Amino acid sequence: MELPENPNKDNNGYESAEKIILRWDSTASEEAREKMIFETDRHEADLYLQAVDEIQRSLSNASISNHSNAAAASAAAVDDQSKVNSTIQIAMARLEDEFRNILMTHSSALETDSLFDPSSSSFSTPSHHELEEDDSVSNEDSSHNDLLRLQLQHCESSDSSTYRSTSSIREVDLMPAEAVCDLQAIAMRMISSGYLRECIQVYGSVRKSAIDSSFRKLGIEKLSIGDIQRLEWEALESKIRRWIRAAKVCVRILFASEKKLCEQIFECVGTDIDDACFMETVKGPAIQLFNFAEAISISRRSPEKLFKILDLHDALMDLLPDIEAVFDSKSSDSIRVQAAEILSRLAEAARGIISEFEGAILREPSRVPVPGGTIHPLTRYVMNYISLISDYKQTLIELIMSRPSTGSRYSGDQSTPDMEFAELEGKTPLALHLIWIIVVLQFNLEGKSKHYRDASLAHLFIMNNVHYIVQKVKGSPELREMIGDDYLRKLTGKFRQAATSYQRATWVSVLYCLRDEGLHVSGSFSSGVSKSALRERFKTFNAMLEEVHRTQATWLIPDTQLREELRISISEKLIPAYRSFLGRFRSHIESGKHPENYIKYSVEDLEAAVLDFFEGFPVSHQHMRRSQ
Amino acid sequence: MNANEYQGSFLGRISIRRNQVVVMDAIHEQELEDIELFQKHVSDRFSELSSPSDDDAILSISWLRKLLDVFLCCEAEFEAILLMDRDPYQLSKPPFDRLIPELLDRAVKALDICNAVTNGVESVRHCQKLAEIAISALDQKPIGDGEVKRAKRALITLMAAINLDDKDGTNAKSTERSWSFGRRSGNKDRVAGQFRSLSWQVAKNWSAAKQIQSTIYNLVAPRGAEASGLPSPIYTMNVIMIFVMWALVAAIPCQERTGLPTHFPVPKQLNWAHSLIGLQEKIADEWKKKEKKGMAGLLDEMQRMEKSAQSLIDFTDSFQFPGDAEKLQEAAGHVAELTEICRIMEQGLTPLQMHIREVFHRIVRSRTEFLDVLEKGSLPVI
Repeated sequence: MELPENPNKDNNGYESAEKIILRWDSTASEEAREKMIFETDRHEADLYLQAVDEIQRSLSNASISNHSNAAAASAAAVDDQSKVNSTIQIAMARLEDEFRNILMTHSSALETDSLFDPSSSSFSTPSHHELEEDDSVSNEDSSHNDLLRLQLQHCESSDSSTYRSTSSIREVDLMPAEAVCDLQAIAMRMISSGYLRECIQVYGSVRKSAIDSSFRKLGIEKLSIGDIQRLEWEALESKIRRWIRAAKVCVRILFASEKKLCEQIFECVGTDIDDACFMETVKGPAIQLFNFAEAISISRRSPEKLFKILDLHDALMDLLPDIEAVFDSKSSDSIRVQAAEILSRLAEAARGIISEFEGAILREPSRVPVPGGTIHPLTRYVMNYISLISDYKQTLIELIMSRPSTGSRYSGDQSTPDMEFAELEGKTPLALHLIWIIVVLQFNLEGKSKHYRDASLAHLFIMNNVHYIVQKVKGSPELREMIGDDYLRKLTGKFRQAATSYQRATWVSVLYCLRDEGLHVSGSFSSGVSKSALRERFKTFNAMLEEVHRTQATWLIPDTQLREELRISISEKLIPAYRSFLGRFRSHIESGKHPENYIKYSVEDLEAAVLDFFEGFPVSHQHMRRSQ
Repeated sequence: MNANEYQGSFLGRISIRRNQVVVMDAIHEQELEDIELFQKHVSDRFSELSSPSDDDAILSISWLRKLLDVFLCCEAEFEAILLMDRDPYQLSKPPFDRLIPELLDRAVKALDICNAVTNGVESVRHCQKLAEIAISALDQKPIGDGEVKRAKRALITLMAAINLDDKDGTNAKSTERSWSFGRRSGNKDRVAGQFRSLSWQVAKNWSAAKQIQSTIYNLVAPRGAEASGLPSPIYTMNVIMIFVMWALVAAIPCQERTGLPTHFPVPKQLNWAHSLIGLQEKIADEWKKKEKKGMAGLLDEMQRMEKSAQSLIDFTDSFQFPGDAEKLQEAAGHVAELTEICRIMEQGLTPLQMHIREVFHRIVRSRTEFLDVLEKGSLPVI
């Protein structure tokens, strides 16, 4: 390239450029400090940039001429060069300030109002995730431990339908196009003069504070791990919800937009630089964002945390491709790694919680029997819990990979129940866990049933609880599908057998009073009925029946149909036996003294009495009516 | 009966759970040996740390990484002693029902410190970048007014960053502003804005000093019978963890270190603790000296950077083109020193952060193991 012919003309151009630069030297003049070039006047700004270009040109010309003409490399030339450098420095310092100023003018927080729809918050419509609240929960067992005291409240509407706008990456304009142009123009000059580092420093520091304000607006808090361990879980649940919403906005909109802004401003100068600026800006905030999720993933495990942890896991999983898209450079490795680490910790936490849950059911120690033999709160809790688990089937099927450990893990004084894996061929590990939970629950219930002094009540208790289990399984299609009809049949057989055992325990001895043997006396001179024995029989029968009536009226079978069935079954045995007994032997009593002491009840009285059974209400002594 | 007679019999191995008395048997002796070995290792490792070579001055980046390695080694041994083949019920009974939760509580505090320090390394990196500007300016030959002004601007920002008050990221000292608009009151926001952008990731009221203080609280050496059992390595591990966190906080800037405790209540007669206490006292002395002047931390490289930067600021103050040959040479020396420091930082800061992260992960894992054991060993409530 030829050197310009006219040194004077060239010098004029240089001189006027130099004048402009020096005029705006803020270390030298008060006026220069008063206003910003790029705020003032489009024209001024253009002039300034042209001046900078001029100086830069002459710098490269000077160095060319220095190289090509060794003789000219005199002290004067060096002097000149130094002057030019000095002027450049003044220009760069000014441009740096202008750059900073433009950035700060346009560094307000992200407009988030358009992104959130406050009316469709997560508290409106409970979805199928909502836990049904069973009524008539008996709370009289005072030795409930934490496991039983938990109430599962899980209302959550699906996030994706509410926030359609944050379901994928969407870059927004963080500042007006004119500002971006100016920044671009300034950056170009700074970088070509070798002032890249200053540029990155300024850019990073201002944009970082913009992100900080956006974070505050999104409600992203700076909580320490210690803080999070100390908070009540309910409080944390709402923070997690908020975090999930905020994280989507951050990754898909905020960070993506920052990246685009960097790309725009540093468009002409190559990807490494815009990468460096982007990371300078976003690395700290990204780590701060993920620290919350990380703290949740390492918190102490307990059953009620499972579902929110799964929510968090799913949200992060969903975000992962976008995280990888936004943080795709080498320098952002640590962020991608951290996100992956958190995801795996959340999965581990979910697995751990389920394991601990199984152990807790096994060890749940309350010994006070539930009055009336009704459904134990543990049964309700566990069945509701696993219904909820089956709602999260999609996620958990991926996460749960190993079978439940049924052996020495629970070594202690107690033995542990068995589970035949052979029959459960082809079931997913998740299904095996759910079945195991039911197995363990029953095992525990068996233990609890032994605390009833009355064996009949123990059987009733088992019947009630296993029946409840069956109902809950039938009531949830996912659960039923995983448990499988084979096992369901087993359970059904179990509660039917408990019903039978109950009947045997209570009624065999009652009906024994109505047997034929022992009443007939055969001798050489008389063949007939022993009146005294018969009177004894009636007395015993009446007493036993009254006792059973009095006691078992207070027992409870909550399920209407089951209650009816059992009563019918009792009636089917009791009524015909009594009717036949009466038929055969009443004449013998009625022919003696005070028959009313022995035949106290009619068949109808008995039928009415059976209707009192298992209502859960005590009856007055008089309540067993006599129609005579 | 003495221990030998028990050795062969099955009965000798039964530990009577209801009492504290554990019958002396072969298993217990093995445990005592392990504890002794553990504490010897601790002593050796800290002794090594106390006599660093030239390349790893105490509280330099490479020394800190060695310290973190020591922590990881000690922690691994400690976990093995406490948890391997351990009956979970044993750890839920006194005194472990107090000692273990306390240990885990300190672990959580340590996690927060790891995060704060990792964040703090970013501000060291920030200083490195500023120093690199100065270096690139002063590396030009010949040095002219322009280069000097440029370097000066960067160096002043650097010194301001180094003298940053931990508390709210504002400059407590009135040094010359790094850019031209300082005098106008309307521009205070801009000035403050630059520094505030280096705000910490932690909550406003979080304090590294308080955090460290709370880990030291309740730290009591085991006495009597406890001193020869498991409580002893638990105490040792506590002390190591606290020391490592304390050293990191002393070295790396992080939020609110005013009032950082300088005394550790560790009894001097503990054999394994000698080197550790020696180190602690040395570092504490340095801290007390520098604390009043306000500084970005005792990190060796930062100290050196500060010295060189200050010398270079003096140089730029007195510079007049074309410059005094002797002064230029001196300046070149400082620039070389600064260059070396930046090189060390460039190579060492990210690995340091990753190393801290490794410690973080280990503490998390260890805590999970302990929580697991506690869960299994929890006696049923009757």
